[in-house]
Amino acid sequence: MISRRKLLCRLGVGSAVMPFLANLPSLAMAGSTGARKRLVIVFSPDGVVRDQFWPKEAGAFKDLPPVLKPLEPFKDRLLTLKGVHDKVQGDGDSHMRGMGCLLTGIELLPGNIQGGGATPAGWASGRSIDQEIKQFLQSQPATATRFGSLEFGVLVPDRADTWTRMIYAGPNKPVTPIDDPYQMFSKLYGQVKDRQSMRSVLDELHEDLAKVSAALPAEDRRILEDHTTLVREFERELSTQHAEVAHAEPVLEQGLIEQNDQMPKISRMQIELVVASLAANFTQVASLQYTNSVGQPHMKWLGIDEGQHSLSHESNTNADAQEKLTKIGAWYAGEVAHLATRLAQTPEPGGDGSLLDHTTILWTNELGEGNSHSLDDIPWVLVGNGLGFTMGRAIQCAGLPHNRLHLSIAHAMGLTELERFGNPDYCGDGPLTGLV
Amino acid sequence: MPLGLFRSHCLAVGSACFWLGVASGWMLLQTAAAEESPTVHPGSVVYREHCQACHGESGAGTKDVPQKLVGDRSVAQLAKYIHDTMPEDDPSAVTGDAARHVAEYIHAGFYSAVAQDRNRPARVELSRLTVRQHQNTLADVIGSFCGHGPRVEEARGLRASYFHGRNFDVIQRVYDQIDPHVHFDFGFEGPDPERFVPNRFAIRWEGSIVGAETGTYELLIRTEHAARLWVNASGDETPLIDAWVKSGDSKEYSNSIFLLGGRAYRVKLDFSKANQGVDNTVHERPSRATIELCWKPPHGVWETVPNRCLFPQDSPPAFVLKTPFPPDDRSIGYERGASVSKEWFTAATRAAGEAARYVIDHIQPMAHVQRDDPDRAKKLMHFAQLFAQRAFRRPLSSDLESLVIHRPFADAPDVDTGLKRSILIVLNSPRFLFRESSGAADASDAAATVSFTTAARLSFGLWDSIPDQPLWDAAAQNHLVTVEQVAKQAERMVNDRRTRAKVRDFFFSWLRVEHGPEIVKDKTRYSEFSPEIAADLRTSFELFIDDAVWGHESEGRRSDFRRLFTDSEVPINGRLAPLYGVALPADAPFRRVRLDDGRRAGVLSHPYTMSILSYAGSTSPIHRGVFLARTVLGNVLKPPQEAVVPVADALHLESTTRQQVALQTSSVACQTCHTMINPLGFAMEEFDAIGRYRSTEKRGALESPIDASGSYQPRDGAEATFWGARELAASIAATRDAQEAFVQNLFHALVKQPVRAWGPATLEQLRTSFEQSGFSVRRLLVDIMKVGALPPQTPAVLIHTKSETTNQTQSQTDNQKTQTETVVLQENKS
Repeated sequence: MISRRKLLCRLGVGSAVMPFLANLPSLAMAGSTGARKRLVIVFSPDGVVRDQFWPKEAGAFKDLPPVLKPLEPFKDRLLTLKGVHDKVQGDGDSHMRGMGCLLTGIELLPGNIQGGGATPAGWASGRSIDQEIKQFLQSQPATATRFGSLEFGVLVPDRADTWTRMIYAGPNKPVTPIDDPYQMFSKLYGQVKDRQSMRSVLDELHEDLAKVSAALPAEDRRILEDHTTLVREFERELSTQHAEVAHAEPVLEQGLIEQNDQMPKISRMQIELVVASLAANFTQVASLQYTNSVGQPHMKWLGIDEGQHSLSHESNTNADAQEKLTKIGAWYAGEVAHLATRLAQTPEPGGDGSLLDHTTILWTNELGEGNSHSLDDIPWVLVGNGLGFTMGRAIQCAGLPHNRLHLSIAHAMGLTELERFGNPDYCGDGPLTGLV
Repeated sequence: MPLGLFRSHCLAVGSACFWLGVASGWMLLQTAAAEESPTVHPGSVVYREHCQACHGESGAGTKDVPQKLVGDRSVAQLAKYIHDTMPEDDPSAVTGDAARHVAEYIHAGFYSAVAQDRNRPARVELSRLTVRQHQNTLADVIGSFCGHGPRVEEARGLRASYFHGRNFDVIQRVYDQIDPHVHFDFGFEGPDPERFVPNRFAIRWEGSIVGAETGTYELLIRTEHAARLWVNASGDETPLIDAWVKSGDSKEYSNSIFLLGGRAYRVKLDFSKANQGVDNTVHERPSRATIELCWKPPHGVWETVPNRCLFPQDSPPAFVLKTPFPPDDRSIGYERGASVSKEWFTAATRAAGEAARYVIDHIQPMAHVQRDDPDRAKKLMHFAQLFAQRAFRRPLSSDLESLVIHRPFADAPDVDTGLKRSILIVLNSPRFLFRESSGAADASDAAATVSFTTAARLSFGLWDSIPDQPLWDAAAQNHLVTVEQVAKQAERMVNDRRTRAKVRDFFFSWLRVEHGPEIVKDKTRYSEFSPEIAADLRTSFELFIDDAVWGHESEGRRSDFRRLFTDSEVPINGRLAPLYGVALPADAPFRRVRLDDGRRAGVLSHPYTMSILSYAGSTSPIHRGVFLARTVLGNVLKPPQEAVVPVADALHLESTTRQQVALQTSSVACQTCHTMINPLGFAMEEFDAIGRYRSTEKRGALESPIDASGSYQPRDGAEATFWGARELAASIAATRDAQEAFVQNLFHALVKQPVRAWGPATLEQLRTSFEQSGFSVRRLLVDIMKVGALPPQTPAVLIHTKSETTNQTQSQTDNQKTQTETVVLQENKS
């Protein structure tokens, strides 16, 4: 086992972050049985520029392609999977099926949402893979966590439709991602914050009680004395609970308004909350959804004024658009890299190594290519060592259905009994081979 | 009847037996006054004869034996002790049954700790907020920054705007109208083929929704097309039901929300017949369009949200407390906050946190402050000040302002945290949590705050909540000093929706139907009786009470307590009609119908009451008699001391219910209570187990005519005899017993303090003025507040205004004397 200090040295963590790390759960925390495995699904929209995204050849990475460049520090714990298609057919346009079938592997139900062509459709007719894994983990005391799963978002539009939802708790049951970091913070830490607030006003409460009590006739004082006793008891409980709070919650910049230009800041805030939730073992499954299918962020901070979806429709011969889309792709890769960095900087509670040693990030997209709306070659980029796959390489598959990748992930997360997922017709011979 | 069923019936009858006791101090007074009463405890006779000479009246002691007769022996121990040793000069004079009787009598009357506690002089006690008060107070403290909703008497229905597009663009609006409710079948053509394309139209309904009961409401949209529903939220917020995506075969979309009864909440429903997403009509096919807005209220069944619960006016956003509380103490008949518990404290602390979070999240409109407002700190502190004084029901002294405003703001890292801490201090302070606690607390400005205490007593009495702005202004101008000033405010406040809600809850609690007992009836005998019928009967009961209590002046019906018992009309809808012998269209809404040729007698014979006070397959004269004796007439009954063995059932298959009950309760032990219970319950025998009128009862092969003769011996005056519900009701409406029971129960429900704390004569004074007003419940509410809003030291004579009371001077003087004595007694004690 590697010591905490050694680990920090290896990570190259300077003394500046030491105070923060010192607040994390101690390495000796809660005896965990077996190493934890975690899955974080990251979504970015509108397809990719294929020749800027995919490595030129299969096997160990040489130079990473331009879009994946930001992941250079994690080259040896990176895996790209090409040739894994979303083969689900049926109602809905490609964006809708791309989004709704991406994690469910099953058709959309007929409905009233009209896409850009094709027949209208409704919600997906099955559960998404992360929720399948969540159900499994929650069913066992050893792996059950406070939330089971957490769904983060960044600038997800405030409307629920087939283009804005990829997580499904079951058929017709889309799960809404929380794209407001303050709302997520309150979900994670609301109770702790309430207790802290109460602690800060106890002096005033005692003073007030004493004043009121002194002015009361003797018969009425009894009930107030009972009340005062309860306040004291509460105070004692607060001080013991305080000692048990294992880690300090992240400090968020206050007053940020959820709008396009704040996307980079919101992204970083949500990443901090993802890392903190995993470190605190609030959950072992998380997702982080950037905008939505047909997402239209205007990445002005990259010098790009056009919306991403509009750009994604431009032909491959439009060099300006291709360049901008490459920059956009690299920006998402940079956020994935930042998430990986923060996980690598954070020691695994109660285990050895870092969170990244026990976590796999799965970065994906609803389309293989934006302008053709192809669902072939869906981007699958894995970072981290949670699933125990052999990393540091590009894999080329022969056009296999993505249901089989989901089976591989489920098996790697311990759900080895899962033989079929989504539409069984796309499960072929079960999990993909050659990943481990 | 199968043997098994009959056995269980008899066992149940056994458990429903009641024993008339003389347990309460109040009852002791009553029986002592009525020497000839047939219900005098045998022990009291023994006591007067053998014990009183030494021990004094009610064990108070005498010169020879000055010790009070109090202790901790049980009845059995006491009986043995008396049997063996008492009276000292002749222990053989009181033995056996006599010893047991006198032991029971003194134990319950004054000897035991419980009896002593009961006999303590009543006083106004410091109490914490009840759960209902907590919910309402937080809603109104926060709501006071948000504006008003629709008033009680407004028209019903929802505003509807119809559009000839798939969205809600103003330029595509075709017309606006008020729709009575949302339940439409537009077929394939749409609302109007001349003005709308059949496959493309949209409708938006807006207004407010009011449910009668506090609890969880399930809401449901039923449609083949896109719809969204918001409840207590604006259209910018997340919908309660988002059915904009039509997916698969789903046609029904539901969700639930906790709401306070009798309050108006904003509602908005969007409906669009068209494909959503990309604007493209290629795949739009002719199809049927229906839309219905349904709900399942607490204790209710699924139904279209009825017209009477919908209002076209919007309501401001409202805070609804979600933190669950443990139930309040109701051991003395009404909810009160007489003690604090850990569970309550935890809930109150959480509730404070919940309210503080809500305020912080909604601060912008409430404090009229933007995030980047240069005056943000100043505005938030001003908000905190208003918040604190509304929560405390009085202005802040400078000390208090420093404690609950300046200190938290000064200590906090930023103003938002300062505001949050200030709110937490306020909502955890005894000045908020306890009623009238701060009235005496600030001795320095006591005089100035008396009016605010009166204002708070008024608002809690009628609303279970804080004063509104007009009441606050009256207190600030010291215009709440005289009884007339109090009456003027009370008269205004009685018309508020919150008074309606509180009075409705009182009636449901007093008449023992609040929990909506699940009424299950014998399927073979009453196959038509369903959960839907039970829910409709509950609504009918509620509408009936509403009419009797508040009147309907335009139709010539005034607020009159007696109508609760004598009104022969019952609200009936299309579903109830066939069961109760009325011809109405199946979908007819509730209307008042004179049932059974005028044989009905208000709440007494209301099918809801009659169904609850029955078994699955037969009536229960005992339950009905107990209800009449105890609830309606205010007598004290105690459960039987031992289980009663059922009579041999097989021998009585053809006996009427009345004959069986008479036989069952014929023993001497039963008769002490059942001489009162049975003749009351028997008078209701004309109404079967689901409250239908009947003139005969079929038992086995025999059909016997109903014998509904009965009688009642009031606490004062001659015995009344009657035949059937109508005569019984006329008799009850005229008895002092029922009037007094009602006045006392209503007083306790409003004021939540014992009426005796205002002196022994107050109850009778209130009853008299009630009688003089022609038994107007509306008037009684005001009269009760004229007493309960002012401190007990205020002579109760002030109940009557000069014009009402010229011939009462003598009794008033007497009352004043007793009042003064009581006050002196209380002062000595403290």
